[in-house]
Amino acid sequence: MRSRTSGLGLLLISPAMLLLAIFFFTPALLTGVFSFTNMSSSTGISGGAYVVTPNLLKALSARGMQPATIEALEEASYSVDADGLAAARAADVDPAFLDEIEARYAGRAYATDSDFLAALKDLPSRPRRIRDLKLAMEPFTKSVLNVRFATEELARTAIAERVAGISDDEMATLLSESYTGWVWTTENFGKLFAGHETWRIIANTIFYVATTLTLFNVTLGLFLAVTTFYLPKKLGAIFTVIWLLPRITPVVLYAIMWKWFTWDDGFVAVLAGELGLPSFNYMKGSVTSAWTIVIMVNGFIGASFGMILFSGALRSIPIQQLWASEVDGATRWQQVRYIILPQLRWPILFVTSYQTLSLLTSYQEIWLTTNGGPGSTTTVWALESFRTALFNYSGSLQYGLGAAMALLLVAVGLMLSIIYLRLFRFGELVTQPKIEF
Amino acid sequence: MQITLKNFTKSFDGNVVIDRMNLEIRDGEMLALLGPSGCGKSTTLLAISGIHRVNGGQILFGDRDVSNLPSQKRNVGVVFQNYALYPHMNAYENIAFPLQVRGQSKTEIEKAVGQIAALTHIEPYMSRRPGQLSGGQQQRVALARALVRRPDVLLLDEPLANLDAKLRLEMRSEIRRIQQETGITAILVTHDQVEAMSMSDRIAIMDQGEIMQISTPDDMYRNPVNRFIAGFMGNPPIVMVDGRVEGTAFETTSGFRLPLPGRLGGLKHGRPISIGIRPEHFGSTGAHTVAGTISFVEPQGRESHFDVRVGEGVVLRSIQPSRRDVAVGQPVEWPIDIESTLVFDEQGKTL
Ligand SMILES: Nc1ncnc2c1ncn2[C@@H]1O[C@H](COP(=O)(O)OP(=O)(O)OP(=O)(O)O)[C@@H](O)[C@H]1O
Ligand SMILES: [Mg+2]
Repeated sequence: MRSRTSGLGLLLISPAMLLLAIFFFTPALLTGVFSFTNMSSSTGISGGAYVVTPNLLKALSARGMQPATIEALEEASYSVDADGLAAARAADVDPAFLDEIEARYAGRAYATDSDFLAALKDLPSRPRRIRDLKLAMEPFTKSVLNVRFATEELARTAIAERVAGISDDEMATLLSESYTGWVWTTENFGKLFAGHETWRIIANTIFYVATTLTLFNVTLGLFLAVTTFYLPKKLGAIFTVIWLLPRITPVVLYAIMWKWFTWDDGFVAVLAGELGLPSFNYMKGSVTSAWTIVIMVNGFIGASFGMILFSGALRSIPIQQLWASEVDGATRWQQVRYIILPQLRWPILFVTSYQTLSLLTSYQEIWLTTNGGPGSTTTVWALESFRTALFNYSGSLQYGLGAAMALLLVAVGLMLSIIYLRLFRFGELVTQPKIEF
Repeated sequence: MQITLKNFTKSFDGNVVIDRMNLEIRDGEMLALLGPSGCGKSTTLLAISGIHRVNGGQILFGDRDVSNLPSQKRNVGVVFQNYALYPHMNAYENIAFPLQVRGQSKTEIEKAVGQIAALTHIEPYMSRRPGQLSGGQQQRVALARALVRRPDVLLLDEPLANLDAKLRLEMRSEIRRIQQETGITAILVTHDQVEAMSMSDRIAIMDQGEIMQISTPDDMYRNPVNRFIAGFMGNPPIVMVDGRVEGTAFETTSGFRLPLPGRLGGLKHGRPISIGIRPEHFGSTGAHTVAGTISFVEPQGRESHFDVRVGEGVVLRSIQPSRRDVAVGQPVEWPIDIESTLVFDEQGKTL
């Protein structure tokens, strides 16, 4: 019996678990994985190759790599082999000259430019001009510079060939630095907290979430729910629909409407002018007005969510309880305070936690209105990570860093959820299942 | 506090539920409002408590017209049909609520709640939520909450519906005792006639939004104004036999005859009437006797119920102290107390 019931329980929650796995665990896991890489638009997200560039050598030399090693890597060498001959033929070098090279020097190698040049000058059908001679030399070049080695092994062999007695240290540095793909790293997090902008963005985020949540999502939502509850039915319905508009309007349209509304010569600016107040673009003109707009834009959307949820919960309170409280002598306010609000504890918890998380992670309204400005005064964490990872003017997208930012957001979200559940004594709310198995 | 309903009218969305009802409840009296389901008992109660506004007429508490006063200002205590306890508060907090919203001090509240809890025997459950209480315990908490602030009027909407038989008996006398001790004017809504008869000073019988009769339990039992009420009062119920007037007697189509009570002289010959005989008026005393066969015996311990077939399709019921000398199928000839029988006309009105 025991095992059957728990089997049924598992069966019942399995769809939820599946959805949770697909839509929460997997993205969270991937975010976690990405955040420990240095993936960016220059590394790509698949593997890379090993390329030693002149720039890399310059940088390594500055970081104190042995000058001998550097020189050896920079040096070109030449060898007359089948590959080189084929390449030279393909590059339209005089075939007679090539035949002579093959006949005289096949299998030989030259360490420097000048050695090979001297050797070639001995041949009768060599080109007259030194420029053509150099062009003819090129296909025989054997250099590691700017060559893409697909695997680490190939790169190691080539480097070892160039620099005879290279130390293990230098080899390791060279290999890791010349890798063009992404690598595992924990540097993202260090980088984040070294940035001076980070703390200001954190402060912005806290301010934004806390203010929007308390003023609009919960307080205004509750206020609207309670007022519509006491309004006559028809009036209440109209009221509800009006407050739903921000939520059912497509977000881009909604943002554009706000833009028009607060434009330099839009409604707000004109009205302010009429009233003798400073008239400017209220969305971008000042920090205070920008914040006010950002919070209102998001708040009006959130308020309707709270309103709907609270209204439903309100209507599920048996009317006799409200009658009883009136007979007991409670005023309207006492009725709301002692009978209604305590029974809305669960929806309030739900709205608070759900909206904290959705405010923490939503950036689209801000992106479409103030875009984090003026300056970065209204930039929040989600917007910044979106920009870092996916939308950047300079075109260099840092997926790894962005993922690290997102991961921190997920961690904070989880922590907050746990705190909320404790705060609202979740255990008491869900105690026993209504039906005993 | 005397309560007077004058031409009280109540309708929901144009649908008249109670039409010009007049009712007077005397100061300190317990009135039972008895009637079938849907007849408007709860509606009347809710109007008196101020939750429903009247659509016409007046409600007076004493000389004061409270028709337009909100319930907060009426000082009535109500026990609702489904208790309406506050689910998020424990029993103590539920009972304390009316005092708390009045801003009474903690010590005052504690004392008052303690007293009322003792009166209603719910001290052991004070820290439990309504969801953790049995139906009967919830009922008593609701009663305590209604009583705790000493209301002028106590309104009880089927307060005993959910109790087991023993607890129901106990609570019946308990409520009655509390009501008499506090001298509070009370209205008890019920559709159990035994409850109505045992608990109240007077009974008002309602049907389809109308008061049909209002009287003391005894008087209502003896002198019901119509057949409906006669059938409503008494358990086991009265037996009705339909027939016609035949001179000074009553006769059914199948030929069963009974003399009519002496008070009813000169009824028109052939008039359709029905006669109601209560079980206690058949089988013990009386000048007239009827013969029949016992068709059913139901022993009840101290007393027995007998069904006696006295004619084609006519079965009379008798209630007598337990006796073993008769059994099913046995012919008997028992007396009937003709003067105590009730006679109704074709419309069901008592003659
Ligand atoms: N809020 C309402 N809206 C519309 N009709 C209502 C409403 N409340 C009661 N009624 C109707 O009024 C009539 C009387 O209802 P009421 O609740 O007073 O009955 P009751 O005598 O208390 O019955 P019961 O013994 O079943 O509780 C019923 O026909 C009911 O359908
Ligand atoms: Mg009712």
